[in-house]
Amino acid sequence: MIQSVEKIYYGTDFNYKVIYTDGKEWSVPHDTANRHYQEILEWVAEGNTITDNGGAQ
Amino acid sequence: MAFSTIPTAGLSTGGANFRNLIINGDMTISQRGTIQTGMTSSQYPYAPDRFHYNLSSAGTWTVSQSTDVPSGQGFGYSEKFQCTTANGSLSAGSYAMMRQIIEAQMVQHLKYGTSNAESITLSFWVKSNKTGTYSVWLYQDDDGRSIANTYTISSADTWEKKTITYSPDTTGVIDNDNNNGLRVNFYLVAGTNFTSGTLATSWESDTAANRAVGQVNLADSTSNYINFTGIQLEVGTSASDFEFLPYDVNLRRCERYFQKHDGFEGTASQTTQFQSVQTFHTPMRANPSASISGVLVVTDTDSDYTQSSANGAITAGRVSTTAVQLNFGNFSGMTRFRPTQQNVGANSCHMQMDAEL
Repeated sequence: MIQSVEKIYYGTDFNYKVIYTDGKEWSVPHDTANRHYQEILEWVAEGNTITDNGGAQ
Repeated sequence: MAFSTIPTAGLSTGGANFRNLIINGDMTISQRGTIQTGMTSSQYPYAPDRFHYNLSSAGTWTVSQSTDVPSGQGFGYSEKFQCTTANGSLSAGSYAMMRQIIEAQMVQHLKYGTSNAESITLSFWVKSNKTGTYSVWLYQDDDGRSIANTYTISSADTWEKKTITYSPDTTGVIDNDNNNGLRVNFYLVAGTNFTSGTLATSWESDTAANRAVGQVNLADSTSNYINFTGIQLEVGTSASDFEFLPYDVNLRRCERYFQKHDGFEGTASQTTQFQSVQTFHTPMRANPSASISGVLVVTDTDSDYTQSSANGAITAGRVSTTAVQLNFGNFSGMTRFRPTQQNVGANSCHMQMDAEL
């Protein structure tokens, strides 16, 4: 189960840092065919929020 | 030699023709690890590749690659599910199932959705202390259709071979793409939400209550276990002998969905960061996710540098199905733009790339 999701920027591109409740951490591309990204979408649909600092360091 | 002179006897039918739709059905490949304890929720465990354990409110489990196999059949491994915390009072929505999701473009020859749709036959070896009825439920995502059949474990603690044939689906079309095609679900536990109907022995619009009618509760005792191996799903109404593939072929097939990488070469892009490009061993199903297994140690041949804590990520936007640009942070004191490489083997550190379904 997802514990948190943070949007990570590199220049104008981004992906997602996903931390699961078992402590595992994944770097996830913005790709609808990726199963972790599909889990992010479900997690957001459940009312959770992605942390997004807009790329500020 | 001209083709016409090749003796047909040389074209042995005993060779591999990739008739098995299941990948790693002999449980040989186990890249993530060989045992995972304390499982209470769904994930790909540290156990044989390609098999997902899908569970909810169904006890606690240890899942492992086991060397308990049927004697004299050529298998070296099975996958074992051991209940470690029981749940004898299932909730209606409880479930536990081992499953493999077959990629859609791998099952187009089933011709589903046409009048020429094929029957398919599932065969496998199974062993459990708990006798009784078990369900294997097939589900195709594109049209939300399913079919189920049961098998019976007759003798406790004894390897038995089971064969189930499923009728063709002339209605539901499986899209020709790299997404979910056909889910093969071996139920171990099912609450009444999945058992209260009539077993769907023909393809139908999926109805949860029709998936696992009669299913025993394998979670009702910590003595309970089940092992599977030799899983094969093939076109036709009869089961052929298990199709053994060479280890390297089996590994490559698994690596379309999950692969491990080390041996990183690249550059210190910052005094605190190391960047590397990795080409995948085989093209992956989709752009993968990445995770690091431990603390990375690199060298610029002048000095070694060790991460203060594990950190490895895809440089955003820099991933495809064939390669990835990785960024490793949490270093200090590196010289910018100096060629840098991993101290291979240090801390057994590697990256895991995941494009599972």
